Amino acid sequence: MGLLDSVRGFGLTFGKLFDERVTTEYPAEKREKSERLHGRHVLNRYEDGMEKCIGCELCAGVCPANCIYVRGQDNPADDPVSPGERFGFVYEINYLRCIHCDLCVEACPTEAITESKLFEFSFTSRDDAIYTKDELLVGDDGKPQQLPWEDWRDGEDQHTSAWMRATAPSGDASYEGRVAWAGELGYGTRDPEVGQSGGDGD
Amino acid sequence: MTAPTDADVVPVTVNGVEVEANAGELLIDACERNGVYIPRFCHHPRMKPVGMCRMCLVEVDAGRGASLQPSCMLPCTPGMIVDTESDLTKKAQDGVLEFLLINHPLDCPVCDKGGECPLQDQTMAYGPGESRFVEEKRHYEKPIPISDTVYLDRERCILCDRCTRFASEVAGDPLIHFQDRGSQTQVNTFPDEPFASYFSGNTVQICPVGALTAKPYRFKARPWDLEEVDSTFPNPMGDRVNVQSSRDRVLRIQGVDSDATNWGWLTDRDRFSFEALSHDQRLVTPLVRGDSLGNATDDGDELVATSWAVAVERAASAITASLEAGGAESIGVIGGANLTTEAQYVWAKLAKGVIGTDNVDAQLGDGLPAQVVTALPRNTISDAMAPGSAVVLLVDDPKEQFGTLFLRLRHAAVEGDITIVELSPIASGLGSLVTVGAHARPGDVGAVARAIVDGRTDVEVGGVEPAELQAAAAALAARAVTVIVGRPSVAEQAGPIIDAIAAFTELESVSFLPLLRRGNISGALDMGLTPGMLPGRTTLAEGGEWYRAAWGTVPADSGLDTAGMLEAAVDGSLTTLVLLGADPLADFPDADLASRGLAACRTVIAVDIFASSSVANADVVLPAAGFAEGAGTHTNLEGRLSPLMQKVNPPGTARADWLIAAELAWALRADLGIESPESAWAEIERLAPSHAGATVEQVRAAHDGLVIPRPDDAGADRPAMVSFSAPVPTEIVPVDGYALRLVADRRLYDQGTIVQHCASMAHQSDLARISMHPLDAAALGVRDGDLVRVTSARASIELPARPDRCVPRGRAVIPLNRAGADVRALIDLATVVTDVRVATL
Ligand code: SF4
Ligand code: SF4
Ligand code: SF4
Ligand code: FES
Repeated sequence: MGLLDSVRGFGLTFGKLFDERVTTEYPAEKREKSERLHGRHVLNRYEDGMEKCIGCELCAGVCPANCIYVRGQDNPADDPVSPGERFGFVYEINYLRCIHCDLCVEACPTEAITESKLFEFSFTSRDDAIYTKDELLVGDDGKPQQLPWEDWRDGEDQHTSAWMRATAPSGDASYEGRVAWAGELGYGTRDPEVGQSGGDGD
Repeated sequence: MTAPTDADVVPVTVNGVEVEANAGELLIDACERNGVYIPRFCHHPRMKPVGMCRMCLVEVDAGRGASLQPSCMLPCTPGMIVDTESDLTKKAQDGVLEFLLINHPLDCPVCDKGGECPLQDQTMAYGPGESRFVEEKRHYEKPIPISDTVYLDRERCILCDRCTRFASEVAGDPLIHFQDRGSQTQVNTFPDEPFASYFSGNTVQICPVGALTAKPYRFKARPWDLEEVDSTFPNPMGDRVNVQSSRDRVLRIQGVDSDATNWGWLTDRDRFSFEALSHDQRLVTPLVRGDSLGNATDDGDELVATSWAVAVERAASAITASLEAGGAESIGVIGGANLTTEAQYVWAKLAKGVIGTDNVDAQLGDGLPAQVVTALPRNTISDAMAPGSAVVLLVDDPKEQFGTLFLRLRHAAVEGDITIVELSPIASGLGSLVTVGAHARPGDVGAVARAIVDGRTDVEVGGVEPAELQAAAAALAARAVTVIVGRPSVAEQAGPIIDAIAAFTELESVSFLPLLRRGNISGALDMGLTPGMLPGRTTLAEGGEWYRAAWGTVPADSGLDTAGMLEAAVDGSLTTLVLLGADPLADFPDADLASRGLAACRTVIAVDIFASSSVANADVVLPAAGFAEGAGTHTNLEGRLSPLMQKVNPPGTARADWLIAAELAWALRADLGIESPESAWAEIERLAPSHAGATVEQVRAAHDGLVIPRPDDAGADRPAMVSFSAPVPTEIVPVDGYALRLVADRRLYDQGTIVQHCASMAHQSDLARISMHPLDAAALGVRDGDLVRVTSARASIELPARPDRCVPRGRAVIPLNRAGADVRALIDLATVVTDVRVATL
């Protein structure tokens, strides 16, 4: 090993000294999150304020961590909670167990459940870790509600809805980014798709 | 069943493999039996084929070239060549599904059937990936209630004809039909006439889509969060069921097809009875008398919650005090007919082997003596209804009380060559399906049976004309006769019924099916929860030595029945009474005696699942586990043992009945030596003469249960079982020309504890009404709906009247346990029959 080798070794270190810094002072400073980060869930609503969740339990059925508890109920005829016969009466997700795999989002037939970009919570009790329907439901502006133990920054409540976040229903890539139906509270209306094949003729 | 002979076997080639079909077997069934499943919607093994859905099309060459044929309509013929996987078959299946989905909505996520739906499953397995139809589907109003418990969503219906066939073919309630034509065809009820069938829940179970759903299960769970176990429903038939729960709550009960018993059917009362299990009025903690502050420390007026230790100790000290003051005879046990057979044994051992009292009775004056019931030669349901046999009905209306037996009887009457002779005082729901309706006047049924058996049919006997007597004798002649016997009316004492039994025992080929009320009554009588008997159908006299050796002690003399116990309580000689799920105030035919008896007892200990009226007046209340909350064995009317499985935990600190007996014994400083239902069963199998050779493993393993006594002679060294001896015939009460003879029967929906704690059933219990023949009504000047006063020697009650042509002349029918009027006030247990006078108000 020659004398110059160690100098050569430091060359990389010194060279990096003048590059742009990649370390951030978290939590004082946060990095931009990627668009499809899997954070905690929200339950979306239609533009008229009705809940999208129909209490079908498909998300609960598909969840590999068994952390969703849903119970449906008959929609009250005079004051329906969601369109159709049934609504999600109980909806809970246990964040001590959720692995943020997003299978629930894929299973949901109404795009009621989607994930926000938020994963920074510091709850101190099991009760807080189990998010109830009241906590998961988006507010009247269509944005996720901020809970006391959550660290939200500006803009992090953007792009949490199905409208923005739909993946590929039925595993058919030609659906990517296209949402089957309309009316997302806070995001406006979209034309429904026609037909079922997803081909050009639709 | 007889072994198949060569002529019965039909060789058929299925997908290139030669298989053996039975002669006359449908191709779809033969294929399934040989491991080749053909998709289907309309085909149901318990109903006639209709070929409605075309899903079962397969390519069949029966000698004239291959063509598509519906395999559910095609009996196997020799040499048939079948291809269930050919391209043509697949195209047909694909096409049928695409057609069905033209109009079937895609609301699987909100459909109760989603996840267990044959249409979903078969579309996945055999259907097109995509539909070519983009047109609007047909629309109907979303679910409409067609009965109190069933919703119909016509959009989802695929017109398979299962529900409508069930209603007309199986249940005999043709209240739903196809209406309209073409693409507008729909299932519906007649206008303003609901699908009011006692069996409507079965249509929900067999509907292959979510068109029919049940209100009690609506949106309660989805199939993937249900856990299930096969069990037995604790009714006298021992219907096989599948119990399904989610999050420790029973949410659904489905029928399981058992050849021996219910064929997969259930009555609505049983199917939806699970609602009561999770009712918030269930007893969840022991209660004792205490003060209004909730202190269990003194003998106050309130029932207050306490610990098991305190409650069991209070019960034990009450028993000890009675033992010391009045001996074992001052203690009595009423009830126990709804426990598991194991728990019944443990309670019998506690009462007779530890406390030493024979005052034990599982029946509340509305049954037949165990010495009679357990002595009769029994038959199985299937043999009783085999072609060429005859059935005598001397029971409550099976349609009202024993629904699945009614369905079996109905099927046998329609399809099989059997004759049915009805001796019960009024016509049953079988209606015109009975061969002879020889409706004996209450009190005279013994004489009527005697006349039929002896062939003395030339004069009228007991209200039955000679023509009917002759027809009845002819219907029974040269056939194997099964007498289904119970207590059709509590206004008629057991005496005349026993006389009828005695007469029938003289027939050449006769056997019996004792059909008494209360779930596990057969088990209770077998386990000696009745005066004078010991477990295993043996008497105190016969089996006393044997059980004394095993238990240490048994009572020397025969004890009191329920009526006797209540009278002893009134005169002060019985001071402690244990109620095992019994509610004498509501259930004993003499309500006045029941209330005086309970009030006179120093201590009433109640073991129950609900605070019934009797429980509310008890001194110590021990909460028990209900159906599906504990394991054990059930005994049905044939003596068939089948397993009861635990699915959920009992609410609160409620405990299994056998455990309560064991704890009570412990508090009495005795060890029953029983640690589990299995150990109780091992003891039953070791000791009971009738249960020799029926091990718990055998019972659990047998899909159709195990009938006791076993044919082998494993019990040869045990005491003899009781044998039937005819008692002195009961005197016939002369007819009072001015009075009507009372029949007090039971209906499916009444004020019973379980029905009243089920939201979907409670309101279906009508008000009490008195029905009589229209001519009797006219003679009295009574019109439909008139309020009348009904007077017996004892009391009088007022209730509305209804003329009814099904009631024979000279009789009046008032159902028991209905709101409005209590018919029990009229009944005097000391008289064989009750005559009433009816007057308009
Ligand atoms: S993200 Fe995955 S683990 Fe979390 S709730 Fe959804 S399915 Fe369950
Ligand atoms: S979130 Fe979606 S999948 Fe889950 S219950 Fe609601 S509608 Fe069904
Ligand atoms: S309601 Fe169900 S069972 Fe009845 S015809 Fe329609 S699909 Fe068949
Ligand atoms: S199953 Fe054969 S036509 Fe329906």
